Amino acid sequence: MATLTVNGTDVTVRDGATILDAARQIGIDVPTLCWYPTLPIVGNCRVCLVSVEGSAKLLPACATTAADGMKVTTESYAAVENRRGVLGMLLERYPAERIDERGAQNEFERMVKRYGVSVENRSGLPLRAGDDRAGDPMIQHDMSTCILCTRCVRACADIQVVGVLDVAYRGDHAEIIVGADGNPEHAGCTWCGECVRVCPTGAIHDVLPLAKFARDAMQKPATSVRSVCPYCGVGCQLDLEVRGTDVVRVNSPWIEEATPNMGSTCVKGRFGTDFVLHRDRLTTPLIRKGWVKRDGRWRYEGDPADVKRWGRRGGPWRDIEGESNTQKSRPRINPLRRLPTVGGPLGDPRDRVATPADWYEPFREGTWEEAMEIVAQELTRLRDSHGSDSLAVFCSAKCSNEENYVLQRLFRAGIGTNNVDHCTRLCHSSSVSAMQRAMNTSAASGSMREVECESDVIFLLGANTTESHPVFGAALKRAQRRGAKLIVADPRRIELAQRADIHLQMLPGTDVALLNAMLHHVIHLGLHDQAFIRERTHGFDEVARAVEPYTPERAETISGIPAHLIRRAAELYARGPRSSTLWAMGLTQHRTGTDIVASLLNLILATGMIGRWGAAMLPIRGQNNVQGASDVGAIPMVYTDYQPVTDPSIRHRFAQAWGVPDERLSLTPGLKVTQIVTKGSPVRGMYIMGENPIISDPDVAHAEEWFLGLEFLAVHDLFLTETARYADVVLPGASFAEKDGTYVNTERRVQLARKAIPAPGAARGDLEILLELSNRIGLPTPFSTAADVMEEIASVTPSWRGITHARLQETGGLQYPVEHATHPGTAFLFADRFPTADGKATLVPVEFLPPAELPDEEFPFWMNTGRQLYHWHTGTMTRRSQGLDSREPVPTVELSPADAAEMGVRDGDAVRITSRRNSIEIAVRLSPRVARHQVFVPMHYREAAANLLTNPALDPYAHIPEFKVCAVRIEPVAPGRHRALSVERIEPLVPAD
Amino acid sequence: MTPAEIGATHAPGHAPHGDRAHAHAEEYQPVFTGAARAELDALLTRYPTRMAALLPALWIVQRERGWVSEGAMTEVAHVLELTPAYVKGVVTFYTMYHQHPVGRYFVQVCTTSPCGACGAEDVVRAFLEHTGTRELGVTSPDGKFTVIEVECLGACGFATPVMVNDEFHESVTADRVQDILSKLE
Ligand code: SF4
Ligand code: SF4
Ligand code: FES
Ligand code: FES
Repeated sequence: MATLTVNGTDVTVRDGATILDAARQIGIDVPTLCWYPTLPIVGNCRVCLVSVEGSAKLLPACATTAADGMKVTTESYAAVENRRGVLGMLLERYPAERIDERGAQNEFERMVKRYGVSVENRSGLPLRAGDDRAGDPMIQHDMSTCILCTRCVRACADIQVVGVLDVAYRGDHAEIIVGADGNPEHAGCTWCGECVRVCPTGAIHDVLPLAKFARDAMQKPATSVRSVCPYCGVGCQLDLEVRGTDVVRVNSPWIEEATPNMGSTCVKGRFGTDFVLHRDRLTTPLIRKGWVKRDGRWRYEGDPADVKRWGRRGGPWRDIEGESNTQKSRPRINPLRRLPTVGGPLGDPRDRVATPADWYEPFREGTWEEAMEIVAQELTRLRDSHGSDSLAVFCSAKCSNEENYVLQRLFRAGIGTNNVDHCTRLCHSSSVSAMQRAMNTSAASGSMREVECESDVIFLLGANTTESHPVFGAALKRAQRRGAKLIVADPRRIELAQRADIHLQMLPGTDVALLNAMLHHVIHLGLHDQAFIRERTHGFDEVARAVEPYTPERAETISGIPAHLIRRAAELYARGPRSSTLWAMGLTQHRTGTDIVASLLNLILATGMIGRWGAAMLPIRGQNNVQGASDVGAIPMVYTDYQPVTDPSIRHRFAQAWGVPDERLSLTPGLKVTQIVTKGSPVRGMYIMGENPIISDPDVAHAEEWFLGLEFLAVHDLFLTETARYADVVLPGASFAEKDGTYVNTERRVQLARKAIPAPGAARGDLEILLELSNRIGLPTPFSTAADVMEEIASVTPSWRGITHARLQETGGLQYPVEHATHPGTAFLFADRFPTADGKATLVPVEFLPPAELPDEEFPFWMNTGRQLYHWHTGTMTRRSQGLDSREPVPTVELSPADAAEMGVRDGDAVRITSRRNSIEIAVRLSPRVARHQVFVPMHYREAAANLLTNPALDPYAHIPEFKVCAVRIEPVAPGRHRALSVERIEPLVPAD
Repeated sequence: MTPAEIGATHAPGHAPHGDRAHAHAEEYQPVFTGAARAELDALLTRYPTRMAALLPALWIVQRERGWVSEGAMTEVAHVLELTPAYVKGVVTFYTMYHQHPVGRYFVQVCTTSPCGACGAEDVVRAFLEHTGTRELGVTSPDGKFTVIEVECLGACGFATPVMVNDEFHESVTADRVQDILSKLE
């Protein structure tokens, strides 16, 4: 602690704080250029020099440690004159005229204005140059305005840990370069835009707003609205720059430390939000032609010719199967060898992947009154004629807590069914079932910042974090740089696996063997935490017996991981001292998903790597609100806060809160996604909000067929999706930027996103739609705003008791449990007990079971599915984002070079992948990331839908399908069509420190 | 992680010698194979970090190829676990690494003030004329010579010093130039 005076005010700062920190603490603004929060301090620009009593020289505030008794003057005559001098010198090589012409437009120019530095009489030195990323679809450089502060270099190297940029040449020739050859791709750029964020002059700038919006639109005054990124579970907070009714760009200046990202984003968060303004947005309700109103009732009387041609709910389109099986045409130019310019030869991506015009054909535009009438009438009709359980609803991991809550309330209390589920079923349901069983919890025990800053060992399983959760992936890289050890278990040699201290490269689905063997070795060496086991757990002895036969050698024969690596990993993990455990879909999406997670939990519990700061258990959540949607009851067996629907006393409480008689609420747990969409399911009518099961369900050809047989289907979405085209009624909803609401990220942080712009046309806020629907089917709703809904959620959800919108606004987010109105939230859980009856966790013995379908002679390859950096799930949003889509325009399969050579296919060739269920045509991307006889197919593309091939085998507890393993065969398509698609894309570079 | 692993694990197109990245361009042939690789590995044992071996690694490249191309910078970055931009930053900081192909004989003439006062300009002119390069930094049509001016070579007492590759000539005057050149192949 040091106490000093800055401009006459006393201030006490923590040890090691700088003069700049002290000044900022009391709101004194010392100008800085090279300094930026969290970046290493270089002290090279000298604008922050201040006077300190007793020091002959001026001292850099950013690089001088504050000492007791210092007397600092930030705007002394000498300091100001010096600053003017520095700014004047920088202006020598700056297009200074523009400051006078159009006013100060960036941080640097504002500083020039603030210090009244004259922009005249410049010496006429040439402006600076540098690599310019010409034609880049998202980021370009105008190095004539670079002042060589090197913020961008450090942001890329130290925040994102990539290192694309650097300073080259010397003296007055010094300039910013991109890799060695100016090509960001060769240097491992991930287009995260961190460099854009930190540049004080706009020398590095984003392209989209300038390319997309007319000049005058960009001239309108800008406001900034705090929001939450609509993509992954990291839950980055963003500032949307709004001009008029458009979100013109995403800014994220330094955002205070309570946020998960502190201003960083990945490429999707920063450049992927233009789908909001896409012309495909639905702006009015669509009603399937044939719905007519007679005598006050709506009936379907479709044109028999159409019905005959397309079926009751089809259309003039090719189904997913048809699209995936067709030949892929050759783009006019290689879309990736040359970065497409915006509006350049690649054309507008909207014309390539957006909603085809014929999808609209079976529909007519309707009014809200008509649309709502039909939906309400059909829901009540089916309820009354076929019983409540003939209806089901898919809530949405992309919608807010408030919307999901109201929707599940509507179906539980208004319809009387627990057939409420969402896509968590397809992602972490097996984690939830294993964690519930072991310790009665459903969420992460710790926080992302905790892992980044505190863990000694990070064990990452089945998670391609640098692509799927890039901001957290960067945090893991920073953690490793700080000294944390990284163990990665993954069948692919992904970026983090390449960087890892130990990469356990297993055959897909053999995790139980690996984890049991690790535990075997831990016990063998006596590295288990006996005190923790004794005091905090049950069942260790049975598990110890169960893992006894799993020697590392045996695990080696099953998983293919060398036994010595298993031993080393086990020792490193168990010795910690603080090991964090992170996992994602690679563990969960198996027919043994629950077992796999259970075996991991056994390892965590036996080594006591939970309940201590720095030893976090963190299932990494996929979507920005998959945690929240589950928390507020959008799953079939529980109300909010995982309170079972089977308990009559709990039912009573909810019945009271919702103003319905107890009997209205069903005591039977509802059907899960995979039980609803299956032959023989009792469901006849569905309401789907913001989900696209026709791409995301396993074995989609069958799913698509199932949807065709529905009696009634209402879809509520932003676009006419692959699923929505089969609907009777399509309701146009609002995007994340068009509504208020809260989202829960992967570390249980409830965050508030604010409405930035109005929804387009007649589209309406989702909450508004759901409230109206609720009232129409006879379930009154005592609220009108999201804040009101949150009040009711808090009243029925013990761990959210202290959450209100006002508090969220104030704090920038709260990690539940938040027990009361002044509770600060909980960064980590289980310090002294687990939320079970006796406070102890239970270890559950599990045996290894192979995946349901293994390669054989006919289908010799293992197929794995998952996400890519530039796309998101079913592509509904990212494929309508100009920048993202231009980076990854065509579906590709990752194939190892050795396999490709054997088959005689080259990079970019089209191949046909066939599984027992179906077949797709797709382009090859040679990638040494995949092991031999394994291929990786991304899930985002309807024209080569991975899920046509996947195996719908289900986990017996969670009913999660085995997306991660199926057996396929790969054949080159006719040689004449070789090189049909070109697909160069290069994995991120792995520099070492 | 060993460099071999790194090299082996990157997408082929990623490495400078990738068959995809430069499908149209000439294929890049890596420098660090065989003897050069062994030499580098031996060097690495003498340095505390891989990064510390950057300058000698670049010397090896320059010796093998005559200059340091962008592809080579990327290769060095991979081998030493650095970023390509960092390597380029270093290469371009020093004048002794050639960023373009140069003649078989690289002639450096000191033109700093003391030598300048003793007629260095004439020496330079003579070299330009007799090598047929005509311009500083340009390689002669037969690919034999490149002439540049450099700052003080530390032999001010023996103006004008000239370096032809690693060979040092003292007290060179314009009329000695042809003699020096004639001894070169
Ligand atoms: S990786 Fe990110 S910070 Fe680095 S150059 Fe690319 S966009 Fe900029
Ligand atoms: S490009 Fe921007 S951030 Fe980078 S050195 Fe130049 S002014 Fe600074
Ligand atoms: S901000 Fe302190 S020297 Fe640049
Ligand atoms: S000035 Fe020519 S060698 Fe010193």
